[in-house]
Amino acid sequence: MRYFLRRAGFFAATLWAAVTLNFLIPRLQPGDPAEAIVSRLSGETRIVDPAQVEAIRKMLGVPGGNLLAQYGDYLSAVLAGDFGVSYTYFPYTVTHMIAEGLPWTVVLVGVTQVVSFVAGTLLGAWAAYRRNSRVDSLITLGSTFVGTLPFFWLALVLIYVFGFTLNWFPAQGGYGGGSSPGWTWAFFSDAVQHSVLPALSLLIVGPVGWIIGMRNNMVQTLGEDYARLARARGLTRRRIALTYGARIAVLPNVTGFAIALGGILGGTVLVESVFNYPGLGRMMLEAVSNRDYPLMQALFLFITIGVLAANFLADVLYGVLDPRVRGEEAA
Amino acid sequence: MRRHTPVWMTVAVLALAGCTGTEGSSGTTATAPGMVDFLDYGDFGGGTAPQANYNPYLDATRLGATDYMYEKLMVFDNYSCTPRPWLATGFEWTDPRTLVLKLRSGVKWTDGQTLTAEDVAFSYQLIKKHEALDTQGLWNFLSSVEATGESTITMKFDEPGASVFTMAINVPVVPEHTWSKIPDPVTFVNTDKPVSSGPYTVKAFNPQQLTIERNPAYWQADKIKVQEIRFHKADGGGPIDQLKLSRGEYDHNAMFVPDVKKAYVDRDPEHNHYWYPPGGTISAYLNLTRAPFDDVAFRKALTTAFDHQEIIEKAQLGYVDQASQTGLIVPAHNKWLPAGLPGNGLVKYDAAATDAALTAAGYRKDGTGRRLGKDGKPIAFTFKVPGTYTDWVAAAEIVVDGLKAQGFDVAMETPDPQTYEKDRAIGDYDALFGAYGGSCNMYRNLADPLSGDLSAPIGKKARSNYIRWHDKETDRLLEELRVATDEATQKEAIAGVTKVMMEQVPMIPLWYGAKWYQYQTDKAIGWPEEKNPYASPGDNLLIITNLRPTG
Repeated sequence: MRYFLRRAGFFAATLWAAVTLNFLIPRLQPGDPAEAIVSRLSGETRIVDPAQVEAIRKMLGVPGGNLLAQYGDYLSAVLAGDFGVSYTYFPYTVTHMIAEGLPWTVVLVGVTQVVSFVAGTLLGAWAAYRRNSRVDSLITLGSTFVGTLPFFWLALVLIYVFGFTLNWFPAQGGYGGGSSPGWTWAFFSDAVQHSVLPALSLLIVGPVGWIIGMRNNMVQTLGEDYARLARARGLTRRRIALTYGARIAVLPNVTGFAIALGGILGGTVLVESVFNYPGLGRMMLEAVSNRDYPLMQALFLFITIGVLAANFLADVLYGVLDPRVRGEEAA
Repeated sequence: MRRHTPVWMTVAVLALAGCTGTEGSSGTTATAPGMVDFLDYGDFGGGTAPQANYNPYLDATRLGATDYMYEKLMVFDNYSCTPRPWLATGFEWTDPRTLVLKLRSGVKWTDGQTLTAEDVAFSYQLIKKHEALDTQGLWNFLSSVEATGESTITMKFDEPGASVFTMAINVPVVPEHTWSKIPDPVTFVNTDKPVSSGPYTVKAFNPQQLTIERNPAYWQADKIKVQEIRFHKADGGGPIDQLKLSRGEYDHNAMFVPDVKKAYVDRDPEHNHYWYPPGGTISAYLNLTRAPFDDVAFRKALTTAFDHQEIIEKAQLGYVDQASQTGLIVPAHNKWLPAGLPGNGLVKYDAAATDAALTAAGYRKDGTGRRLGKDGKPIAFTFKVPGTYTDWVAAAEIVVDGLKAQGFDVAMETPDPQTYEKDRAIGDYDALFGAYGGSCNMYRNLADPLSGDLSAPIGKKARSNYIRWHDKETDRLLEELRVATDEATQKEAIAGVTKVMMEQVPMIPLWYGAKWYQYQTDKAIGWPEEKNPYASPGDNLLIITNLRPTG
């Protein structure tokens, strides 16, 4: 019990630190959001009209009071779930923007993460079970090769081949220009079609880490004394591999998976940018380059909470699965 | 601003684009005679996840359709800088502080009501009351705007108003009968059946595509030959947009394309065209508060130190032209040039001349080729350029090479754009690039970089005179230009400023920034082009009233 309490305390302290850093960092960055907005509008010559900057500053409103007062306002607003108005999408609120992007990221990245994990773990286990066979070489070498491909290049090839040359799937966007977002079958199938290429690119590179991790863990596990003992006792190779080897080897992967799921909220900036997918990753990139502090702060906060919560869960899970960890901490 | 995609990405796309081609998909339906069914345009603004917003005063976040919904009193052809009658049929300065405009009769809002002089006055009062909507700072100059008759609008200015004419006629007019009921126009997004007067109304919107359709009751509907315009959101001029452009999926777009001739024009030379007229001027700014830049002879010697052709060909891909030392845009502003000026003030690159002039001015080279200051110490300084503006960085390299060739110890620094802009504003630099001008307001074009009032002490943010040019003669000429109502006086004042630019060299103009503009002529013709420059690329209302079906 003490172990879990400790973990919970650690979680709370980290969360507070993250929230505070989140408040401070944008205020320490150089640059003025109003100027950033005008220079973005200014076109190729990058001429900034001071009158326009002033008007936009008035539009956005400058946070008043000293830093401490601002911090107090910020904390109470965050607790109330009020993240203010986005600078990039004025007058739409940050909450509105995040609600719009969240489902896309969660579905795209969530589904591909789960599939990658399951597929990667199974393939890794298979490779370890048939270690040093042709299957093992194919899986290990193949995934190492795929793992070295630059993601960006892979995505561009997918776009060009399937999106432009063969015209099988839409190359970019989360849905087509002609469809109207809503809970209709037409929109759903449109969205699924648009998700094929980004999902495919994630599914190609996603399992690599799980495959290699699982295979190596399991090969090691199968070399342990207890595996040898089991073999000496006459258990089948298959039974040893599945019931003992795989079950033990999958432990570190489960932890890794929990953390990976926590990172979903941050989206995958790269995949969403390349495919112009309407999720949170692309939004975050835009918020950062536009000095959109309210949107940036809220997004970072969600990511931090996601990662922290996942870490906490992983810790708890580890405590449950592995009694040794609990014991050490309590001692 | 140009999207700065990594070079390898651009190369990849170019390679891909060069490979093969499938025809652009363009659905065809029965077209009404004499009409273009629809045209596909590029980006419609509003960021990567655009939200519906048709408030014409929210410059930063409204969607592109708004330009086609709300109109202004006059519309400027921003190429030749000619005001065209629009909601107003004409204007007259009854005295230097009073502008009287005649309102066009028979203009209807989309709900059937008539557009009145009261609507105009209301719109101007609206941006007075809500300063956040006055994006030009117009009410710094206006004292009143009133409807002084059924079809007469009278604007009064605090001071002679000729120099703010371009701004005074440039305010979108909205209907009083709906907008007066809006509690907060600053956060109003105008998405619920907007009442407008322009040639188009919104037909459909989702964050991927914005479709506007012809307003049949428009006051010059006979000139609108395009039934529908479909704006498409891709990656804002990134690799996907470039691929789509090269495949002919846009009838019109306005974005940066590396090697536009190969990637676009060559794919269908008969129909694919581009025209990149000059925008503002990019200039070398020297910090005039620091030695040796405070020495006229030194600055004058540097005017021939930079290889303009190399900047244009290598850093700007041949899309731009060399800038005139007069500070004006030639040839567009030729009518303002003083008589008898050789070569329109275009200075030739001549490193030997710079060398001779520097030596003559007391900046000689030592035995190892280092250029020495008047104190006998080698001259060392930095040149700043934002690291993410790749085309500026390339140009800065050529500028720095030119300076190094003269024996200066020059180091290039590449801060992020925000730091750069701050350093420039507070005067914390030796030399860097600055951009100015490009508007139809000649006073603003010249006053912004040169007026003493727009400067500030080092360490304080200057409004726009970042070089800290303080010159009584310049300020006197600018004041003369500001209050001048007749063209002869304006010409005289402008000629005076160009003389200061040539003789005192407060800054060294290098090239004119380009306005990107690509168009296809397979469905519609009548786009502005070099041979028929009736409008500048952003003059949407002028362009749409000139388009007509091909053939």
